[in-house]
Amino acid sequence: MVINNIAENTKKLGAKQTRGETRMNIIACYKIVPDEKDIQVRSDRSISIDKAEWVIGQYDLNAVEAAMQIYEAVGGKVTALSVGDRQLENSKLKKGVLSRGPQELFLVIDEALSGADTNLTARALAAAARKIGFDLIICGEGSQDLYSQQVGIQLGQILNVPTLNAVSRIVAENGKLIVERSLEDEVEVLEVSLPAVISVTTDINQPRIASMKDILAAGKKPVTQWSLADVGLNDANRRTEILYTLAPEQAERKRIILEGESEEVLDKFYELLRKAI
Amino acid sequence: MDFRKTEEQELLLESLRELITREFSEEYFKECDEKHQYPEKFMKALVDNGFGLLGIPEEYGGTPVDTLTLILVSEEIARLGAPGYLFGSVLQIDDMLTFGSEEQKKITMELTKQGKIAFCLGITEPQAGSDTNAISTTFTRKNGKVYINGHKTFITGAMSAPYMLCMTRDFSVSDLSRAFTMWWVPMDAPGVRIEPLHKIGWFMQNTCEVYLDNVEIEEKDIVGREGYGFIQLMKNFEVERLLMAAIALGQAECAFEDAARYANQRVQFGKPIGTFQLIQEKLTYMAIKIENMRNMVYKCAWEKDNGISLQVSSALAKLYCAQASFEVIDDAMQIMGGIGYTTDHRISRLWRDNRINRIGGGTDQIMIHIAGRGILKQYR
Repeated sequence: MVINNIAENTKKLGAKQTRGETRMNIIACYKIVPDEKDIQVRSDRSISIDKAEWVIGQYDLNAVEAAMQIYEAVGGKVTALSVGDRQLENSKLKKGVLSRGPQELFLVIDEALSGADTNLTARALAAAARKIGFDLIICGEGSQDLYSQQVGIQLGQILNVPTLNAVSRIVAENGKLIVERSLEDEVEVLEVSLPAVISVTTDINQPRIASMKDILAAGKKPVTQWSLADVGLNDANRRTEILYTLAPEQAERKRIILEGESEEVLDKFYELLRKAI
Repeated sequence: MDFRKTEEQELLLESLRELITREFSEEYFKECDEKHQYPEKFMKALVDNGFGLLGIPEEYGGTPVDTLTLILVSEEIARLGAPGYLFGSVLQIDDMLTFGSEEQKKITMELTKQGKIAFCLGITEPQAGSDTNAISTTFTRKNGKVYINGHKTFITGAMSAPYMLCMTRDFSVSDLSRAFTMWWVPMDAPGVRIEPLHKIGWFMQNTCEVYLDNVEIEEKDIVGREGYGFIQLMKNFEVERLLMAAIALGQAECAFEDAARYANQRVQFGKPIGTFQLIQEKLTYMAIKIENMRNMVYKCAWEKDNGISLQVSSALAKLYCAQASFEVIDDAMQIMGGIGYTTDHRISRLWRDNRINRIGGGTDQIMIHIAGRGILKQYR
């Protein structure tokens, strides 16, 4: 990874990309998550996803879209990849991700991956990615359910390739990438050599809407399903274990109404607000 | 009986929801409605994302789908608060693609792909509403040209469409089934005068009087076969009726969901109004009507897709949906109280836009006439 002159690279970001110059094999990773609207909070504040429908993580759709845009600019191939338990076998979800553009889908499905921590997820993704082969792997900024923002970073580390997160713009050029990272008080522009792993922000793009044509085509695209053994990962031990996940304590709405504009009323309002926080 | 949608249908509806909820706020539709503007950006987005050309043959860039899928999409557009009534033109486009000349088809598709309306349908006349046989607009041939004379009314989109598919009567033909011919009339031709009508709903689409005074067109402007005007329109007649029923259903669902959410939030006498049994009764009967409408509409679509006649069932569905959807929206307005009567909330727009379903596309009375005759015939 080389940090170059920012002004020069910003100019490059505006440069036109030429299709076919440097075709790229891109893997877009995604996770399926319980639909937020179906998540229920039990009386003990624990979370129930028993009745939840599973959906593709919203932030991962940005990763798929970023991959598609690079592919459309320089050619090559986009492969979608996910690891997890049997929920991944849902054929609607398979069509769902393929309808967003990727030409092929690979899944590593194993009961040992049920509720996997970020490290095991990253190791499973790395093993599958090695087997598939890649120039670039793109992940979302974090999973929609747990949002640890760890998997992309660990995946790059395991694969021992340049790894970046918080990427808000990517331009492929001459077999390299010029990427923009939006940091707190600056925009960092970097030239990245390939292969690499990049995690993109949610504002990098607007995922495309799948049309009926895309949806019908998705059902005909190849899907390969592997187990952990198939990708040569024998150690499914976890480095971390989630002990419990609790919803924030719910408070009854107080329904206090203060009327008037006097200092006294405002003080009372401030006092109540302060107590509430 | 399998009531599940296919995975493809579910994904398509998810896509539609994503498009509308992400890119078109209620504010947008409200503004178009207030300004009486055609929501061109929305219609273009429907085309760009493959929804506007559903049901249109592949050779014209469309995606053929079964009737049920088309119905589900129409219902969902309306359920999301978007002007579903504008989506109904998809079958008129199919009519043009079936019977139009190459030039007419090219113009239709070019404009449709831009989200615009290519043509309006010119059938109704002051003396010929439900009684379409009373049409008296004529065509006469003189010096190798064709001249159209007549007065059309309630013509949807006449101000914005560059062409009118104009139904004319040949009074020299006594057999009514062979007396009507359709023509492709440019709306900017000399002799065409358009005057907008002022309606209480459907503000996103204009509706007009059209006066045709010796409008000169060419022989090539005929649409399909001379004398076969109405027979040609029969191709999609029943599905168009069904589409209206589906849109009415979607509007009712939209109002119902708004009202149910409101009933959970609105507090009166120290409790959410949803805890009062009178409100629960309303919501329960609204839910029953929605369930009935859905079952009727889906079953008709299934009949169409399986080659079963829907002559009676589509009339029953149109009649029931037009009435029940209005009752549901009216009750939703009742639950919303004063807020529902203001233009701040979309319930009032749904209420205004929905009422036409009992009049347009065949009145309630005509549906009863069709169904009644059909029912008696079955037991003769």
